[in-house]
Amino acid sequence: MTFSRRDFIKTASLTLGALTLPSWVFDANAATNFFIDVNKNDLADIALSTAKKLGASYADIRINRYRLEAIATRERQVQAVSSGQNFGFGVRVLVKGTWGFAASPIVTPEEVRRVTREAVEIASANAAFQRKPVKLAPAPKVVASWKSSFEKNPFDVPVDDKIQFLLKLNEAALAVKGVSFVNSSMAWVNEQKFLATSDGSRIEQYLIRGNPTFTVTAVDRASGDFQTRSSLIEAQSAGYEYIEKTDWLAEINRASEEAVMKLKAKTVEPGKYDLVLHPSHLFLTIHESVGHPTELDRALLWEANYAGTSFLTPDKTGKLQFGSKIVNFVADRTQPKGLATVGYDDEGVEAQKWHLVKNGTFVDWQTTRDLAPLIGKNKSYGCLHADSWGSIPFPRMPNVSLELAKANVSTDDLIAGVDKGIMIYGRGSYSIDQQRYNFQFGGQTFWEIKNGKIAGMLRDVAYQSRTTDFWGACDGLGGQSTYLIPGTFNDGKGEPGQSNAVSHGCPVARFRQINVLNTAAKAQE
Amino acid sequence: MLLTEKEAKSITDKLLAYVKAGDAAVSVSSDNLAHLRFAQNNFLTSGQRTNRSANITVWIEGKHGSSSTSDLDDASLQTMVEQAEQIARLAPVDREYLPTLGAQTYKPVNGYAEATANISPAARAKAVGDILSEFEKAGVIGAGFHQARAQAGAFATKNGNFAFERSSIVSLSITARTTDGTSSGYFLRSHFDVNRLDTKRIAREAIRKTLAGKNARTIEPGVYTVILEPQAVADLLGGLAFAFDARSAEEGRSAYSAPGGKTRLKEKIFDERISIYSDPWNAELPGSQSAQSGIPAQKIYLVKNGVLDNLVYSRFWAKQRNVEPTAGPVNTIVETSGKSATTEEMIGSTKRGILISRFWYIRSTDPRTASLTGLTRDGVWLVENGKIQYPLKNFRFNQSIVQMLAPGNIELVGVSERVGGSEGGGASLLPALKLKAFNFTSQSEAV
Repeated sequence: MTFSRRDFIKTASLTLGALTLPSWVFDANAATNFFIDVNKNDLADIALSTAKKLGASYADIRINRYRLEAIATRERQVQAVSSGQNFGFGVRVLVKGTWGFAASPIVTPEEVRRVTREAVEIASANAAFQRKPVKLAPAPKVVASWKSSFEKNPFDVPVDDKIQFLLKLNEAALAVKGVSFVNSSMAWVNEQKFLATSDGSRIEQYLIRGNPTFTVTAVDRASGDFQTRSSLIEAQSAGYEYIEKTDWLAEINRASEEAVMKLKAKTVEPGKYDLVLHPSHLFLTIHESVGHPTELDRALLWEANYAGTSFLTPDKTGKLQFGSKIVNFVADRTQPKGLATVGYDDEGVEAQKWHLVKNGTFVDWQTTRDLAPLIGKNKSYGCLHADSWGSIPFPRMPNVSLELAKANVSTDDLIAGVDKGIMIYGRGSYSIDQQRYNFQFGGQTFWEIKNGKIAGMLRDVAYQSRTTDFWGACDGLGGQSTYLIPGTFNDGKGEPGQSNAVSHGCPVARFRQINVLNTAAKAQE
Repeated sequence: MLLTEKEAKSITDKLLAYVKAGDAAVSVSSDNLAHLRFAQNNFLTSGQRTNRSANITVWIEGKHGSSSTSDLDDASLQTMVEQAEQIARLAPVDREYLPTLGAQTYKPVNGYAEATANISPAARAKAVGDILSEFEKAGVIGAGFHQARAQAGAFATKNGNFAFERSSIVSLSITARTTDGTSSGYFLRSHFDVNRLDTKRIAREAIRKTLAGKNARTIEPGVYTVILEPQAVADLLGGLAFAFDARSAEEGRSAYSAPGGKTRLKEKIFDERISIYSDPWNAELPGSQSAQSGIPAQKIYLVKNGVLDNLVYSRFWAKQRNVEPTAGPVNTIVETSGKSATTEEMIGSTKRGILISRFWYIRSTDPRTASLTGLTRDGVWLVENGKIQYPLKNFRFNQSIVQMLAPGNIELVGVSERVGGSEGGGASLLPALKLKAFNFTSQSEAV
């Protein structure tokens, strides 16, 4: 793992003039009738000039195509194989300091004119009652194209190969004594995005993301008990090489044995434990307790009606002790393999990397062009994103990653320093309050640590803590050999709800004296 | 821009005409979504989106493939059909394949209002502008979301079935916070007809709750008697009718599985005053006219007077078990019998307990007992000696739903009303509940 190499193709120009975009942009479907060629630049000219004529001080248009493929299997059957694509455009306008948006799947000049008028009509209707006009931080004009990093386009791999791969995984699981059921699936997404803004930017991007996963279930019919173990390998910004170069068979073999083991594992005794958290688990704790509270829109109450606000507020910037001195978090939209890695955000701001927490202190926010001025900044960090041409782009989380130890500390080194503890792998149940103080996380597997060594499997484990107490209790980080970049495909936020794919790089980490509870329901008092 | 029945049928006919496969199910849908989001007593984002899509699943010698597209021109539709057929040829045999249904008769549902489909941006801006004025008058900071959606679509099968349906929904949710950030109130309601949505009541309730939540105190977590307002019940139990899958129960991996490979069917699992059913023709909460795989929806009971009355069989699993597939669920209606109590009566009858407005971030912790964790949000009060004493800070809970509704744990039931889940999901009909015991495991400072 290294941060030094940006292994993607990037061509950028800050000069205005005729566009010369590379041939790979938008041509992935050229072999099929799916691709309807439209002159995007002409359509953009129509939208931007119509918006300007109708009084918009700013406008942008996104013309996007999304391709999706999903295969789901259980045991020896294929449950679903689906392939889909959708294509459309969305126009965003700022009129008298008020946003308006409209979108349509009919990508024609007449419809672009109609939809732009509709966006202006909505903005104007709302502007009559607006209290405080929106202001945008400036952004340089960009004419560029960008492609995410992948070796083998999954949409070029025959469906049969994918099915055979999943069925082979299932067969391996079913060969393990005690396994009752297995579900496996893979999903692939290709985004082909075009953005034109009234500031002169014109940007094309091509992204591929993959989400292979499985769940093994072991049922003890006699007692009525059942346990599951899901894949510890998570979604990534990668091509089909993610399937071919990862040892999935070893992972499902281990998962199958562990699902069966869980039926007989010792139930946890509630109390205080030292925790050693594997990246396959820790990434989601980072997502919930660090990623979300550092979103500036939450702190400024924009999400008050749904996802919630934040315990962090602008006056705490540079002052609040977020964690122990060894804790450093970076927001990074350039991190290789990161699901939120892009060339540019959805209003044309270049991808960046910056610290959110430095040496344990909370130092900065995730921002967009309309958020940055509200904390006195004249530059956005490029966090605007929409999950579809039909969705309004709004502030979304970049990859937020925990920096690793400089020394090459191993997982065993961290375990060796624990007398009474639990090592946790994988994402389980997760729940956190609307200001991101109080959280409770489960996992996939739990291992008792006694006197510096793994002593056996536990079950029914969840830990409960308060964000700053938890990160303040972090006293050990793994080195490069323990670093992974797991991610999640579907982070929900906003109204209407939108989905965002995001990763959280992290090493193994150790936390002292965290409250652990037993999640198995007992008879109520 | 919603499709008419004639337009939808012409597309499904066209799709079926392109199909070379032995069997096929096709669908086409269109929707209009209009929304306005506000926060900090200000308009935030607002938009309108039209969308259309077509889907197909084909079976060739028992092998299936699916494809979808948002392009409804002839060439794209034809390509979509070819792609699905190409996938089907490559796929292994689908052992769960059953021939698609032939022509069915559907009893129409009244869940569509033209006024919702054609909402006026100017009227909506005025209604929300008035709400912003109410926030200002009350000295609170308000946020909220107004959304109207209308859908029209059809599905058809190669074996001769065809159905067209329209529906609409409009909702408004509002959060009001005190300027010092120490109290927050929330209210959400929805209806299929915008003329039946009382926007002023929603604003009034959210403001009332936040003003009544000032100066919240702390008490120890633990097991308490609770009064759950309908919103809190909706957050926990909304969509409950969809949780009675027969296959997972019979495979031994559900809360309704029993030892020895059996299920809890016909066991008394809940308090006898609780019945849970699905009814497509409910006037307040219309459901779809068609259930799974296009089976005409019927009124079906999942739980009747506390007894697990039915599990839900898919067409495939029903055939395996030699039973009829289930004609639902299409919505969740929790009906209570016996004497009902108002929330005020529930408070009046409580010696010591906690009144809860809403729950948040609810996640499963143990599917064997339908156990959940989550937090209270936007309104918690201590009740003592029949009166609300003072507001409380929020709690985290860990609670089994099965134990919560079990005989002996429900003290009083309210009258069901239409409420949407505040974390997503559609509306359900649910009552307020007074429960003897509910398990809070820690405190949360969050407001």
